[in-house]
Amino acid sequence: MCGWWDKVDDNKGVPRETPDQPLPRALHWVLTIVFLCLLGIMLGSGLAALHDLDQMHDAERAARRVLAYRSEQEMLSQLDAIRRLFERNDLLDSLELEILRQSDELRAWNDRQLQLTDQSMVAQFAQLQSSLTRSIVLSLASGFLLIGASMLYIFRLEGQMSGRYAELARSRAELEQLSARLVEAQETERRKISRELHDEVGQTLGALLVDVGRLSAALPDARPEIKNQVGHMKSVAERAVQSVRNLALLLRPGMLDDLGLVAALEWQGREVSRNSHVEVDVESENVAEDLPDDYKVTIYRLVQEALNNAVRHSAARTARVRVEQTDGHIAVMVSDDGQGFDPQRQRGLGILGMEERVRRLGGTLAIDSHAGQGTTVRAELPV
Amino acid sequence: MKKLRVLLADDHNLIRAGLRLVVAQQPDFVVAGEAENGRQAVAMAETLAPDVVVMDVGMPELNGIEACRQIREKRPETEVVMLSMHSDEGYVLRALKAGARAYLLKDSAEADLARAIRAAADGKSFFSPAVGKVLLEDYIRKLERTGAEDTYELLSPREREVLQMVAEGKSSKDVANSLNLSVYTVETHRAKIMQKLKLKSVPELILYAVRKGIIA
Repeated sequence: MCGWWDKVDDNKGVPRETPDQPLPRALHWVLTIVFLCLLGIMLGSGLAALHDLDQMHDAERAARRVLAYRSEQEMLSQLDAIRRLFERNDLLDSLELEILRQSDELRAWNDRQLQLTDQSMVAQFAQLQSSLTRSIVLSLASGFLLIGASMLYIFRLEGQMSGRYAELARSRAELEQLSARLVEAQETERRKISRELHDEVGQTLGALLVDVGRLSAALPDARPEIKNQVGHMKSVAERAVQSVRNLALLLRPGMLDDLGLVAALEWQGREVSRNSHVEVDVESENVAEDLPDDYKVTIYRLVQEALNNAVRHSAARTARVRVEQTDGHIAVMVSDDGQGFDPQRQRGLGILGMEERVRRLGGTLAIDSHAGQGTTVRAELPV
Repeated sequence: MKKLRVLLADDHNLIRAGLRLVVAQQPDFVVAGEAENGRQAVAMAETLAPDVVVMDVGMPELNGIEACRQIREKRPETEVVMLSMHSDEGYVLRALKAGARAYLLKDSAEADLARAIRAAADGKSFFSPAVGKVLLEDYIRKLERTGAEDTYELLSPREREVLQMVAEGKSSKDVANSLNLSVYTVETHRAKIMQKLKLKSVPELILYAVRKGIIA
């Protein structure tokens, strides 16, 4: 009956918060990486092309150097041949002829060399062009491939994510529904049992009490042992009436139905003051008498639970209950001057129960407590 | 001799039967009728015009306190004796605010019912002794725990006299007559009493008197 406020381990709690959607963050990272990769490839192929160009430049210079060197060597060898002709004192004609022939040969050789160099240059340029084209095509292709792949990956992630999110939302909604139904069922059951106890058991005992009272009044001259017996019957019946009444009140305070929320809270405060070491002060402002039953029960149970905790765990000396209704919402506050606790680490079932009830009505619950500084429970409910 | 006409309102047959027996035992009482819920009690009070209604607080359809308020509005000459299981001041105060004259706990109803009905018919207050006891215990405990002072000590002897008479149900004029004062003086005393005791209404004043054992 009272088990819902018993302590439980922290990790048994139902997960309360849905994780934020991490998708935009992941997307951001993936796109950054893709962009960096693309940049890397472009840079790499550009550098490769530069390197190729540089190489070609070197090759050309080397070729020129070789050409110049070879021409010089050739000239020297021709001059040697001419000198040798002079030394042999040959005819002028033959000299002239020889010179002409030599120069023709030289020109032909030069032409050949020029042609060769030209061809090699053209070939080198062709090579450079094709290598540039290749690297551009390669980088473009890999870029597109990368973009495609990452898009695919992102879409897949997104799909998975939204699937999981929907699943989470659904199961959370189901859980909420279930616990709402549980709270409702608990309240209905309590009311039923309380009504039954009060109406049937309580009233029957009450009638018995009235009868016994009349019996004892009708026996003024009876023997003392009979009078004692009747007196004993009366006190037994009184005790039974009292305990049934207390039980019924604990299950569902009749004040909530008879007198409304404020009176029920005041009664509860006095009841706690009577039966514990905590003196409770109840204040209320502007609280409408015609609050819906859901609200009355929620606020009543919340205050009951908070006071219960103050009495059982906090060693408080005074507690204060304040209920205030303003435009559109009701604020409930229960504070005590007890030893406090760490609400992040110690969460009993009772607190879960409070949260559940408050959330059902679209409200919020905050528990402010520090070791040695008392506890304040605040709830805001939209009306 | 004219008999007091009593209407009994309780949703439980057994309790009603018990009440009927007690009322029937008194030679000067007669049971005018019996109602099973608050709505019926209001309707029967209008048609049967009883002198006193004995009413259970917790009844279906319309609870006893609301029924009391309606009866007192429609027929101020009909007095109400409230029957309850609760000695809590929340109930007592609200019953008084609704216009009830007497407040009886069901446990002791058979012993005190006749006295309560007679007192109510005379326009006087009556409370089960246990009610005063519970209220006093609550009051003393609160004083002890919070260290507040007992406001009763602030009243002058004359104010205490006026407090008792007002709490018993007397009008300012009655009080003035029996104390040989002017109505104006009595009104001034009343205002000072309310101010010193920090009370807002006559029902609160009656509750205070019951708690202090000034009236029962």
